[in-house]
Amino acid sequence: MGLISWYVVIPAATAFAITLVPKAKPMAIRWVASTGGFLLVLLSAIVSVKYWNLAAADIELLRTSMFTKLYMVEQWTWFKSIGIEYFVGVDGISVLMLDLTAIIIFTGSLASWYVTERPKEFFALLYTLVTGVFGVFVSFDLFLFFVFYEVAVLPMYLLIGIWGTGPRNYSALKLTLMLLMGSAGLLVGILALYHGSGIHSFNLIELSKIHFPEAFQLWVFPIIFVGFGVLGAIFPLHTWSPDGHASAPTAVSMLHAGVLMKLGGYGCLRVAIYLMPEGAIYWAMFFMALATVNILYGSLGAIKQKDLKYFTAYSSVSHCGFVLFGLLALNLMGIKGAVIQMFSHGIMTGLFFGLIGMVYGRTHTRMIPEMGGLAKVMPWLASAFYIGGLASLGLPGLSGFIAESHVFLGGFFGNQWHDITLMRTLTILATLSIVVTAVYVLRGLATVFHSTITNPEFEKLTDATLPEKISTGVLIAALAIGGMLPWLFVDLIEGSIFPFLNRLHESGMISSL
Amino acid sequence: MIESILDNNLITFLILLVSVGALVGLFIGLSVFLGPKRTSKVKDSPFECGWIVTTDAWRPFPIKYYLVAILFIIFDVEVAFLYPWAVSFGNLGMAGFISMMVFLAILFVGLYYAIKKRVLDWR
Amino acid sequence: MSYSLTDIFGVLPELILVVTAITAILVDVASKGKDSSATMLVTAVGFIVSGIAAISGVGTIGVLMNGAVFQDGFTTAFRAIFCLIGFLTAIFSPAYLHFRNIRLGEYYPLLTMSVLGMMVMVGAANLLLFFIGLETMSISLYILVSLNRTNSKSIEAGMKYLVMGAFSSAFMLYGIALMFAVVGSINYNDITNYFLADPTLGPLTIAAVALLLTGFSFKIAVVPFQFWSVDVYEGAPATVTAFMSTGPKAAAFVVFIRVFGIALHPVASHWTLLLSWIAILTMVFGNVAALRQTNIKRMLAYSSIAHAGYLLVGIVAGNHAAFAATGYYLAAYALMNLGAFAAVIIVNQRHGTDGSYRFDALKGLGFAHPLLGISLTIFMLSLIGLPPTAGFLGKLYVFSAAIETGHIVLAVAGLLNSIIATYYYLRVIVLMYMAKPEGDTTIPRPLPYAITLIVLSVLILLIGVFPEPVISLMIAVAP
Repeated sequence: MGLISWYVVIPAATAFAITLVPKAKPMAIRWVASTGGFLLVLLSAIVSVKYWNLAAADIELLRTSMFTKLYMVEQWTWFKSIGIEYFVGVDGISVLMLDLTAIIIFTGSLASWYVTERPKEFFALLYTLVTGVFGVFVSFDLFLFFVFYEVAVLPMYLLIGIWGTGPRNYSALKLTLMLLMGSAGLLVGILALYHGSGIHSFNLIELSKIHFPEAFQLWVFPIIFVGFGVLGAIFPLHTWSPDGHASAPTAVSMLHAGVLMKLGGYGCLRVAIYLMPEGAIYWAMFFMALATVNILYGSLGAIKQKDLKYFTAYSSVSHCGFVLFGLLALNLMGIKGAVIQMFSHGIMTGLFFGLIGMVYGRTHTRMIPEMGGLAKVMPWLASAFYIGGLASLGLPGLSGFIAESHVFLGGFFGNQWHDITLMRTLTILATLSIVVTAVYVLRGLATVFHSTITNPEFEKLTDATLPEKISTGVLIAALAIGGMLPWLFVDLIEGSIFPFLNRLHESGMISSL
Repeated sequence: MIESILDNNLITFLILLVSVGALVGLFIGLSVFLGPKRTSKVKDSPFECGWIVTTDAWRPFPIKYYLVAILFIIFDVEVAFLYPWAVSFGNLGMAGFISMMVFLAILFVGLYYAIKKRVLDWR
Repeated sequence: MSYSLTDIFGVLPELILVVTAITAILVDVASKGKDSSATMLVTAVGFIVSGIAAISGVGTIGVLMNGAVFQDGFTTAFRAIFCLIGFLTAIFSPAYLHFRNIRLGEYYPLLTMSVLGMMVMVGAANLLLFFIGLETMSISLYILVSLNRTNSKSIEAGMKYLVMGAFSSAFMLYGIALMFAVVGSINYNDITNYFLADPTLGPLTIAAVALLLTGFSFKIAVVPFQFWSVDVYEGAPATVTAFMSTGPKAAAFVVFIRVFGIALHPVASHWTLLLSWIAILTMVFGNVAALRQTNIKRMLAYSSIAHAGYLLVGIVAGNHAAFAATGYYLAAYALMNLGAFAAVIIVNQRHGTDGSYRFDALKGLGFAHPLLGISLTIFMLSLIGLPPTAGFLGKLYVFSAAIETGHIVLAVAGLLNSIIATYYYLRVIVLMYMAKPEGDTTIPRPLPYAITLIVLSVLILLIGVFPEPVISLMIAVAP
């Protein structure tokens, strides 16, 4: 078994190990879960370094290549009669996503240290969920990809439904039904690719060697893009997101907003844009306009929220809009920005939801007006919140700035297929959201942590404990590394982005569009 | 021409159907038209071997009759099955003999079951 | 007319079941109606032996009995599945029948005869043998449905089933007769050859096809001939419902594939549109009606109507891969539906419930009974069609075949319907895990219950992850 398969084996084994621990020992359960998370972070570090060394040699080759080059590939035939393979590997983009997922699940396990209701089932389901997420990022067989994608959906439903708060049953059902609706569309699209290719294969690399007819691309692209877009909270299919995030328990919100929503953007890039460049060029402006609505709608929606979780959930809708916006700019800057934004927003929102969980665990309220002056009693949490907030409004020195500036530049540069004025207008509109974000983030933080303590009960609250400090510390470190040493990311992903661009350019030339 | 039409099995069958219907219709029709119609109360009452009618004909009677009737049908069909078998016994050989014995054995298990469940018990 | 040993060995599973049924009758008579556990044992052993005989036929393909019986992948696979269904129903039933106070030893021989009929149906290579199998199966089922003699609902269900069944059998027989009048033969292969040579439809052929289609529609309960099924499913003893919603339906579908999919394939284009509409209406009707149910048994009954709609998609798609897909889906459907009914029957024996199959009985059971909770969750996931279950692959194969043959609207309709279905299947999981338990959550836990749940959920996962053996059987269908 190669290195990459461990990404699926470790979380699955952790989930299994947790079921073996006796119910009466919650401490053992937490340790098993956190160890699993730590191993995953370690694995990601090894894979990243190894990928770095391997890919550095190939950078010139990738600059002109039409096909994604995979590293550390493992390939087995699974169902011979229909051409399904167990086909896993990584390129730069998936390495970054794997790093993100590993960090989030490790910190998420630590942030859930104080889950008291059925911790065994909770952590087992959490690691089942994350098995699916890792699986998606490493699979390069569309069938395998889809199976892992679906594996992630159901544990999510149970986690929100059982451990959630507020109208959890409603939120869980809404989330599941909407995501399944998206995946139904996705399935139609994938099957259309399978049969339309004429080679009856789900292998993404083999499929990319087929040139799909233009008429075919024009109808399949939107199906697949929207199928993934539901998960990436594309307007107007984002409505599951605020309710789902608000009702979910801490670690699930972290994973969901941090990783699963990225899966939508990842799928759009990996499957829709990669396999159907002509479709992408044709539909780019339409979806870019939707993404702009996302960005503005999310940030304006966040202003009105009183509940900290809804507040963060709406700002996630806005930030995920940046991902789609960057991708649809269809140039190097935009796609690079989108990928960095996936990482950066994943870490940032993970930090936010983790902190909200910790604060809520102490104050038992998430309503912004009911809180105040918390910085006095919990300085660690307050500082962490500030760092997250500053990253969210794009302060230079933190990774949010790198991501957003790339995306905006990408949008501003435009591409040779679309009207530059339109793209620049959309970009300027999207940039406005930065101002709005600054307003709501600063106002919200000021209310919660400064002014005077409104509730005398709050005087007795304590600051972060050790697991919580590790959890937030790791996330803040990741944000800072992303902001201060951005070339680390750029080096990692740039080589893998060239094939997408080369495909777009070639199809742009032969296309009659 | 007429021969070729008659060769068709379906047409012959249709001709049979029509002629049977016509014949039956003819007989019933003749009796309706020609027969005298004189009714009286005694004449309309059911005929019961010269006895005075005691009850309505629509009354429940023992379910045992049904069971016996069903058993009778089974063995009746069996006999219908045995005749052609016996006629062509020579051609069927050992395989035919064994098949029929198996069939009869199964039937006898059924009969045994029926007797044991006291289907033929009148008490 | 002569039979060789190959012929005899080819139908060994059927012969074993005949012997089993007769032995079971004799054992039942010997026990004088006091205790039917010996009868149950004989039947269970018979199913196992017959199942082994069926599996030993893997890989053979051809015709037996002078062209009357197909010996192919479909036959082998479904013989084995029917034996499994029969076996599980048999071992599962004693505790339920005891709970319901039904003490009739005839239950087991009738079950065996019904499975025998199903086997004959799937193996039949001509219309008449199929009809004999159909009647063997149906007559046994009429009795089984009304076995709960003191319950008026059971009697009503038996009566309805008998009338509807006889009605549809009459249609079927009339269709067979007319088909014989057209083709001059009742062999499927002769029918194919006849229509290959002359693909025009005369009035007689249209009448024959219409009658056969009506007959099949009754048997597989698709719109507009589905109304009998829900009442019958609800009234019948629950174990019989579990049995008849899986086996007989699967058998009828296999014959539907053999007759309409393969034998009449040369002229199939004439009713593709009709069947597409039937499929869509059936899905929509089943799912929308299931949404509103408060009784789990009725919910499952409606959902099995919806599944008939998905299965029809495979028949409409109409190529070789599509039939294999439908066969796989049928196998998956049989396993998951049987499992769902079994789990629901167990839930309904919870202390303090009145045995009326209301959803409330599920409340809080998931954590109190982990095995029951997990296996019912697996069955529901499979019915929804989520990986890594057999239900997911089944749907995938069927809709993939539909897309391949250009029936994209059908595939989309099927997938959208799956989403509707998610809502009511998830409700089961919600109540099990997310509702607070009310009152007593004790449930009787005899060993056969556990065996049934474990066998079915393991099989669903197993053929969901390794479908290759099942698919390779289904693809080997006799021409």
